Amino acid sequence: MPLLQINNLNVRFGDASAVPVVDGLDLSVDAGEILAIVGESGSGKSVTMMALMGLIDAPGRISADAMTFNGLDMLSLSRRQRRKVVGKDIAMIFQDPMTALNPSYTVGYQIEEVLHQHLGLKGRAARQRALELLQKVEIPAAESRLDAYPHQLSGGMSQRVAIAMAIAGEPRLLIADEPTTALDVTIQAQIMELLVNLQQAHDMALILITHDLAVVAETARKVCVMYAGQAVELGQVPTLFEHPAHPYSEALLAAIPEHSLGAERLATLPGIVPGRYDRPQGCLLSPRCPYVQDHCRAQRPALEAQAHSLVRCFYPLNQEVA
Amino acid sequence: MSVVLTANNLTRHYTVSRGLFKGSAVVQALNGVSFELQAGKTLAVVGESGCGKSTLARALTLIEQPSAGSLQIDGVEVAGASKAERKQLRRDVQMVFQSPYASLNPRQKIGDQLAEPLLINTSLNKTERRERVQKMMEQVGLRPEHYQRYPHMFSGGQRQRIALARAMMLQPKVLVADEPTSALDVSIQAQVLNLFMDLQQQFNTAYVFISHNLAVVRHVADDVLVMYLGRPAEIGPKNDLYAKPLHPYTQALLSATPTLRPDPEKPKLRIVGELPNPLNPPSGCAFHKRCPYATERCASEVPPLRAVDTRQVACHYAEQFL
Repeated sequence: MPLLQINNLNVRFGDASAVPVVDGLDLSVDAGEILAIVGESGSGKSVTMMALMGLIDAPGRISADAMTFNGLDMLSLSRRQRRKVVGKDIAMIFQDPMTALNPSYTVGYQIEEVLHQHLGLKGRAARQRALELLQKVEIPAAESRLDAYPHQLSGGMSQRVAIAMAIAGEPRLLIADEPTTALDVTIQAQIMELLVNLQQAHDMALILITHDLAVVAETARKVCVMYAGQAVELGQVPTLFEHPAHPYSEALLAAIPEHSLGAERLATLPGIVPGRYDRPQGCLLSPRCPYVQDHCRAQRPALEAQAHSLVRCFYPLNQEVA
Repeated sequence: MSVVLTANNLTRHYTVSRGLFKGSAVVQALNGVSFELQAGKTLAVVGESGCGKSTLARALTLIEQPSAGSLQIDGVEVAGASKAERKQLRRDVQMVFQSPYASLNPRQKIGDQLAEPLLINTSLNKTERRERVQKMMEQVGLRPEHYQRYPHMFSGGQRQRIALARAMMLQPKVLVADEPTSALDVSIQAQVLNLFMDLQQQFNTAYVFISHNLAVVRHVADDVLVMYLGRPAEIGPKNDLYAKPLHPYTQALLSATPTLRPDPEKPKLRIVGELPNPLNPPSGCAFHKRCPYATERCASEVPPLRAVDTRQVACHYAEQFL
């Protein structure tokens, strides 16, 4: 049984007639697995994870056929029960480490708070454990950093502290939402290596949300490509990179400068992601898709198994390759 | 080929107050940067935050006076220029900024923003200005009805097109672009990069393209300048520099950049630690504390920028990497 199973998740902001921001998403993550979710801004990647964490407030509305984590039904949990799970068994780190930490408290205090809440550690035991956590995320001179305030740390160090807080409860699932987007490239490499090492050492599942396909190629085994709230392709790395089946996956790859080395121009998809109020009637990609047929403009395709992956397209690409 | 921009030993130091009872300190934000740029060519400047990229941009666009060194724009020396000459020089160097959300006036119509450079710098009348604006809007892929709209009605990619159109209105000799695509999604980034390339061909403008994304730089640049803590580490033709980086920092940057086709055989060059405090830079080579090849000589002696192979490198041991 997978660790996390989500079936037909819908998130809307407003009443039932509002356009869904996340539209019929199915996702499953096994223990100890790395799943990457890629997509551009507005594709619903972050909202999906916020729905799982219970961070969506009114007027946001969540509905799903199933959302189970570790055998628990996340939809029917009371607030109190949810609080026991979220932050302990499921932890999350965010894009901007500078705003993820409370500027008014020391780093040590903030980590000890997690330990107190979820593990009941207090006093010297909590402090000792906080120190171990800082060492585990490879912060130099960890002992002196316990008493540092967030403004005294660089972006990379703050992200390490955020990771230390996230792994304090020894989570089964860690969600990293664009964890390195705000960081420089050498620091990005260090943080990604740290995340993968921790994932392996603790046999955690890791959901990596990112817009950077190169980061996905280097870390994840399974990847879900999202477009305008829908999963359009779900496949294995590196198969999906070598034989993308959905036109959007192909276009995303082609838009990366590395992909068209030496070419004068980059391949682009014309136009932009459709907004909430101008959703096309048929396939959501149909106005931008270079392979569009009449059929695509009239009907929405479903996510179906194709040669290498699950694809939401009537005319998937690269199917002939074995 | 005509040289439009020459920087010679360009330097900018800032004095920073350290509080009431301490003397002030000097930050060497830019130290001895030299290059020549020809019309229609692109020099890319890469490096991590705090390496002096943006200070260089501010010096090149005459926003700030350099503390030392000389800067020639189209053969005119900036330092000794009269007020009238400086006004003309400002016409010749234009700039595109990182965030298209902050660089456009929210209360001014797009058409008026594009016409403003003409209003200030030329004697064209209203209808002529409008004609020129309409023509430029067409060239950057905006529709005529956008003339009357305000910035908030546009997406990030469209705003960056507007910012680029505004910079190109006076057909400058040099365009300085400071991280112009780092706020954009990858498919939009590809569209904007293509537009940059098209306009360069059309107007034969020289670009100084500042970026931290080495994949993007590889696509747009002719020459690449790698900076570390205010000093040039390596400068040379793009293909040579990417094929065989001679400075360990360039090697580290290239190695840390995630790639779509990771090669598990090729070990990553790991660099530890973070950028040193610019108020208290390390002795000798600024990179020696993070450099895997550092020796005692590196800690004591600042490596001068010298010609090696096809490039200039600031490393004592550059020959070893040939």
